[in-house]
Amino acid sequence: MTAAAGFAAWAGAAVIVLADGRRGLAAGIGFVALGFTVLAWTDGLWPAGAILLAGGAVSVFELVRTGPREWGLMPPGSTPRLILAVVGGILSLWVGASVTTGPGASLRFASLAVLVLMAGRLLQSQSSVAVLTAAAALALALAGASGLAPNGSGWAPYLVGAVIAAGALLLPAAESRGT
Amino acid sequence: MEPELAVALPATGALFTADQLVLGLSISPLSRALLLAAAASLALVVTFAPLRAERTVLLRWGLAGIAAMAAIAVAPSLDLVILVTLAIAVLQAAVAGRRPLAARLRAPALAVALLGAGLVFARIDGAPILAKLAAVGLVAGLAAAIGILPYIHEFDPDEVTAASPIAWIAFVGPILALEIVTRTRDLLPSAAAALGAMLIGLGLLNILWGSLASWFSEKGASAWHFSFMADWGLVLCAFGVPLADGQAAALLVMYGILLSRLPLYLWSRQSLRERIQTDRPINLLAAAMLAGSAPFAGFAARVLLLRGATQLYWPLALVVAIGLLLWLPPSLRLGRSLGLPRGRQALGTAIALALSVAIGLYPQPILSLAGL
Repeated sequence: MTAAAGFAAWAGAAVIVLADGRRGLAAGIGFVALGFTVLAWTDGLWPAGAILLAGGAVSVFELVRTGPREWGLMPPGSTPRLILAVVGGILSLWVGASVTTGPGASLRFASLAVLVLMAGRLLQSQSSVAVLTAAAALALALAGASGLAPNGSGWAPYLVGAVIAAGALLLPAAESRGT
Repeated sequence: MEPELAVALPATGALFTADQLVLGLSISPLSRALLLAAAASLALVVTFAPLRAERTVLLRWGLAGIAAMAAIAVAPSLDLVILVTLAIAVLQAAVAGRRPLAARLRAPALAVALLGAGLVFARIDGAPILAKLAAVGLVAGLAAAIGILPYIHEFDPDEVTAASPIAWIAFVGPILALEIVTRTRDLLPSAAAALGAMLIGLGLLNILWGSLASWFSEKGASAWHFSFMADWGLVLCAFGVPLADGQAAALLVMYGILLSRLPLYLWSRQSLRERIQTDRPINLLAAAMLAGSAPFAGFAARVLLLRGATQLYWPLALVVAIGLLLWLPPSLRLGRSLGLPRGRQALGTAIALALSVAIGLYPQPILSLAGL
């Protein structure tokens, strides 16, 4: 179950990297939220997982509700993005499962994969929706990664992460205006 | 950290245990000292703002910045510090600016990703190199968050300050850097030497690049932006010196950024737009303050840094001392760009100079406030 959850988080991040349309981005953030929610639940953090799921659900709702309803998956010229998604996943899997030791390999893999892929998406994208979605996914990944703390970080990071993920896509995408 | 403030959230249901509900909020003396400096800087900037500046806008965004800094300072874990930083980045990106939203959010969000990766590496077991990789991630993230080399934020001289990189490099940056560096030291005791070396290396690079770019930059506003980078170079070098003198020097340079360089930058924006340059005594005094000459606060900071660097490794002190000479030419240029302050602005400049002299001559109250 944890391996599937880790894979879902990576798949969600990969879709955010590969998609330009709002539906594609919504599917990506949904998978990321689902992956980290299941990882939190398998760790016994039921309320924290539910909070993450709620944050992710608000993001998905906001992306689907407004703007053009298109997927925009793998538009022309997205080969470098595809390479990033695959190589980022393989490297994260190698670090999470082979270089590092101890329990929680799925969470390590998911956290690193989402952080690395979102960093790439932030550097590559010029679109405000894509960048805000990447920021929301970052918030979910950071909240989920707090489960790696030796004594646990409580539910506060999950709450803050979920609020950021939900709030980022509620903000008006202020573009070049005013001085 | 001393537990000075404890906030217990009210029970919200049976889902949470008592341990999970209690958030222990504490603020370190160093953070407290920086928060006070930020509040003083805001008061100075708003009270003595130029006539054309919108004081309510300055006050509103300044207070929002101080609230954000307080949230960073009281965050009980590094996870929360990073998440609060992301929240600040997203909220700042919502402020209407001249640059596109993606350009405004990119650098601080990338910083969050790097800090997060560093934190993940710090928390996982495995090869010893993981601790060093964690230090690399956290230092790189810190540099990207502040907006210094190797990740300088895109800067538009005409952009409103609240939406510009100046908000990170000159206002939120000091407390963020302090919290990340101190918490990283606690988190990675085995990588302390690597962390210090990276901070010093990055610091020297920023001293060199920031001062030369400030000197040769065509636009006056960009020269100010690069001068903040040079100051940050000093701060990073000081953080890299694991002695009390290093920490004291870092604090005093950050006081200089908040109480001297930031107000002078904001007050010079009008004359920068009108391309006014003057060579009056007040401009020379401002230049001396920005260059860290005696008896201003920057001089005390530099003496402390050189003393700490000498104790650590004397060739480092030699390199830093040579780097300090690079401050003079750009500071003369920046001092001239202040124009001739009149009325309220002249009074503000005089107060900034007097504050800097007071801290430079007798820094002990500030250092005591910070627990140093």
